[in-house]
Amino acid sequence: MAPHHAHITVLPLDLLIYIIDRVPEPADRKSIRLVSRAFHRAECLQRRDLNVIRREALGMLIRCYGAIESLDLSACAGLDDACLSTALGGGAAPGLRKVNLSRASGVRWSGLAAMVRGCPRIESVDLSHCVGVGDREVAVLAMLAGLKELRLDKCLGVSDVGLAKVAVGCPGLEKLRIKWCLEISDLGIKLLANKCQNLKFLDISYLLVTNKSLHSISTLGRLEVLKMVGCYYITDDGLNYLKNEKNCNTLLSVDVSRCHNVSAFGLVSIIEGHKSLRKLKASDCYVDLPLNCLSKLGMLTNGFHTLKVDGSEVSEPRLKIIGANCKGLTKIGLGKCKGVTDENISELVSNCADLKTIDLTCCHDVTDDSLIAIANSCKKLESLLLESCSLITDEGLVYIGTCCPNLQEVDLTDCDLDDSALESLSRCSELMKLKLGLCPSITDDGLDYIAKCEKLQELDLYRCTGIGDDGLAALAYGCKKIRKLNLCYCTRISDQGMKYVSCLPELKDLELRGLTQVTSLGIVAIAFGCKNLTELDLKRCSAVDDLGFLGLARYAINLRQINISYCNISEQVLIRLLWNLRCLQDVKLVHLTHVRKEGFMLALRSCLDKLKKLKLPTILKDAISPALIQILQDKGCRIRWVDKPIPFYMKDSPPSSPDP
Amino acid sequence: MDLKKRGLSESSPLKASSSALMAPPESSSPSNLNLNPNPNISFTTTQFGPSNLCFETRTNQSFHVYQPNLGIQSLQSYHDIKKKDQQQVLDWDPRVMLNNLSFLEQKIHQVQEVVRSMIGREGSQFAAQQQLVTADLTSIIIQLISTAGTLLPSFKNSSLPNNNGSLIGSDIPSSDSTKASEYEELIKGLSSAGDEGDDLMKYVNACGGEGADSVLAEDDAVDGDNLPPGSYEVLQLEKEEILAPHTHFCLICGKGFKRDANLRMHMRGHGDEYKTPAALAKPSKEISSEPVPIKRYSCPFNGCKRNKEHKKFQPLKTILCVKNHYKRSHCDKSYTCSRCNRKKFSVIADLKTHEKHCGRDKWLCSCGTTFSRKDKLFGHVALFQGHTPALPPVDDTKVSVVLDQVQNNDLMNGGSIGFNFGSASDDVGLLDIKGDDDDRGFFSPMNFDSCNFGSLDDFSRPSFEVPESSFSILPGSYNYVNRNGS
Repeated sequence: MAPHHAHITVLPLDLLIYIIDRVPEPADRKSIRLVSRAFHRAECLQRRDLNVIRREALGMLIRCYGAIESLDLSACAGLDDACLSTALGGGAAPGLRKVNLSRASGVRWSGLAAMVRGCPRIESVDLSHCVGVGDREVAVLAMLAGLKELRLDKCLGVSDVGLAKVAVGCPGLEKLRIKWCLEISDLGIKLLANKCQNLKFLDISYLLVTNKSLHSISTLGRLEVLKMVGCYYITDDGLNYLKNEKNCNTLLSVDVSRCHNVSAFGLVSIIEGHKSLRKLKASDCYVDLPLNCLSKLGMLTNGFHTLKVDGSEVSEPRLKIIGANCKGLTKIGLGKCKGVTDENISELVSNCADLKTIDLTCCHDVTDDSLIAIANSCKKLESLLLESCSLITDEGLVYIGTCCPNLQEVDLTDCDLDDSALESLSRCSELMKLKLGLCPSITDDGLDYIAKCEKLQELDLYRCTGIGDDGLAALAYGCKKIRKLNLCYCTRISDQGMKYVSCLPELKDLELRGLTQVTSLGIVAIAFGCKNLTELDLKRCSAVDDLGFLGLARYAINLRQINISYCNISEQVLIRLLWNLRCLQDVKLVHLTHVRKEGFMLALRSCLDKLKKLKLPTILKDAISPALIQILQDKGCRIRWVDKPIPFYMKDSPPSSPDP
Repeated sequence: MDLKKRGLSESSPLKASSSALMAPPESSSPSNLNLNPNPNISFTTTQFGPSNLCFETRTNQSFHVYQPNLGIQSLQSYHDIKKKDQQQVLDWDPRVMLNNLSFLEQKIHQVQEVVRSMIGREGSQFAAQQQLVTADLTSIIIQLISTAGTLLPSFKNSSLPNNNGSLIGSDIPSSDSTKASEYEELIKGLSSAGDEGDDLMKYVNACGGEGADSVLAEDDAVDGDNLPPGSYEVLQLEKEEILAPHTHFCLICGKGFKRDANLRMHMRGHGDEYKTPAALAKPSKEISSEPVPIKRYSCPFNGCKRNKEHKKFQPLKTILCVKNHYKRSHCDKSYTCSRCNRKKFSVIADLKTHEKHCGRDKWLCSCGTTFSRKDKLFGHVALFQGHTPALPPVDDTKVSVVLDQVQNNDLMNGGSIGFNFGSASDDVGLLDIKGDDDDRGFFSPMNFDSCNFGSLDDFSRPSFEVPESSFSILPGSYNYVNRNGS
């Protein structure tokens, strides 16, 4: 080690930086950084982005990596104002451009104010899902004169006043998401459109705004993307306002999904008004697509590539017209559409050879003939969603497997396929995401085939009761890249299978609901093996006892979400678990029959400052002191109370929360 | 009262077209609408709305109109009327009237001929003839009005003796209640028209287009602000005059007085008519001056748009306007609102208006302006660069209250672990678990000791040990590991 070390230190800093630039993988960078101080120094200077998981480290890391431009604090447990202001308030990261504070529910205006003081060059802020954020927080952000991108999804406290602050303070704003900010009204949107003429991206989904807002929005001359999902008060007239000379050539993408008061006439005015449109999403609008509306699609330029009309009526000859008019289509969404038949599909795909994504979710009439037509026409296919298309068989999938080498995502949930179908799919070497839920006919042999897809990252085997430990062995051997694995209710799986799963080094998200054969040994193996595990679901794993949870507390220190409802965990171990898991943010604790209410209170106190989400049974609502609940909520934790009866098989266990 | 002559001689467009609306025989003919021979002056029908109404009322009512009118008029004005009417009677000559009527007859015949000849023709000749007809009809109407004008007061005069016994107006036909409002309307118009008594004459006069000295001047609400320059007299009061607490102003020169009596004494200087005992006596309600020329006022402040020297001079209508304008624009705001202590006004009425709403304006702009409605605030913010809606002041008390509660109530339930809450202001120091030994004792048999992680970390450890006051209080920091590689 010593000679290598000496050798590296000889290199000048800029060369070291040059080397580090060539290392893309975070894990490899970590290795390099651990090898030598010189590399560590070089990385401190070179590194531009930082993702902090624990708040204790935040201050130190910011001081270390002063050159960062992008900071992700969305997973930082227990982040609060004091922490944020000590870390960023002193100007330790003056070059910071982008901050992600999504779900950082403990952060309020004072922390943000310190951040704004310390990093005045911030251009992008993400505060999405910080439900406690209101006008005051947004007003602080409005002091960033150079702000270009702001995400405020589900910041429930933000009203027109906050929006006005941003509109006035950040005239250069280009991207704004205010989805679910239900307090915002037409007035705010009007002012926004008045002040922020550079807006390119605007998401007003689920706002209670009316056509007046669209009238204001139509004055935005540079708007490219407009999302208005679930805006119930918007009608065809409003979409007609958008037909404006000012933005007729700029608007590229419009999403009017779930706008129940929009009809085909509204879609026609969008299509007529914006020739350069590329994406049109109108899912669940209950639109009966008239033929003249579809033929209007031909007026659009060749750039039009995405059409999503889930839930619409697309019977003969609508898909044919779509195919004839939109030859450049790459994505089509027909989920739950009525009237989708094999003939329709083949007429559509015969014209659209460039299709990469086809969503046929719940198109129950689709058979192998469709798959054959798709396979013959769409050689570039990347994503095929066939959930609940129960008529398809392995014969169709053979064609898909052989003709579509680029396939990356397949959803076969509830298609009741068997192993031979997986054999066909195993030829798709690019496959990254595979959903096979509710296919009980799949056995370990099928997983053997899947194991050939080395790039697989997500695998869903929900209620595939046919699989056992051997299948998991094959998976663990072949698919080392798996990050997300769902094994819920695959009841044949035992500890041995868990040991195989623990060999998946990249695993981040593991769901093991209802695996009654898995004991503490299996869980400890997982905790020890999967160092990257951040989400774990152990609901109804009744064979796991304290030992397993102590193993988790000891080794699975990166866990952020855990579900241990209906588990046999004792009071002391629960406290230990919640205390030790330092990144823990989301806990579900329904019906822990061995834990008294005092135990719950102690456990909650032990993780008081890091929780963001908590699920508890309603029985505890009165037992837990209201002050404790108040503190939890003040620190940004959302508590969901679940009112479900205790299942009969748990009633034999010791009394749940006896009154003292 | 050379009314007839005037009517015959004058043919101003104003007179022509307005009288067209009242002339009974011609009003049915569509050509009346095109009576305006001078295309440079355009009239809108709304301008004639009020006068039209009055005329119609009058023509429909015949005598009834005057009876209530007289009844309500004061005794004094009745005497005036009587005097004037006697003069009118002397003025009226049946021979002249007959002359006029036969002249009219001839004229109508002429026009008939022309119109007859026009049937079946078109082109430029047609247009010329049309103009001819228009001009002829205009003169017919004018003459008819003048003729009728000389006639009407005599009607009135003849009706007067009948009414001698019932001056108080007890004989208003009660059955005619639908017309009561019309009466009132007319009475209002008449009493505002002045004390002449000869109100109808006044109207005719007005229609006769007498301009500056006609009753039209009283009616400047119609379009007072768009008077062409020169059509009115500009008065400029001195600054001291404006700021003096005067309430009585001379309508001729604009001088102000504190007491009406002083004004009346002042008025004597303007002419003999003000020296009569009646003029000097305490005025009754209906008293009004002679027809006065239109007056507009200039602000004495140099450079002000309301100053007559200004290029785009916009005159002020009344003396009150001058006073308010001068105080608002060129004086200190000395009245402060006692509620908010922020808003200041120079006109006390403005302060009173503000005080009605003060405190109810919850929408505040960063510039300090308050609004009672959100949309008004947003309109203001949209208009002015850099203005933003202001947020309510920070409420800091909530957190500390909660923490106090916890400290008081919750410690009892703490069990074996004691909680020590930091001061309310210190958010981080919220939780400090003291029962560390106890805690470890629980788990020692399980052999899951969490103290031996530190050695894994090479580089970040030293920098972590730099004291960070915010975090050092956490008891768990002993097993800190820098595991977050990314």
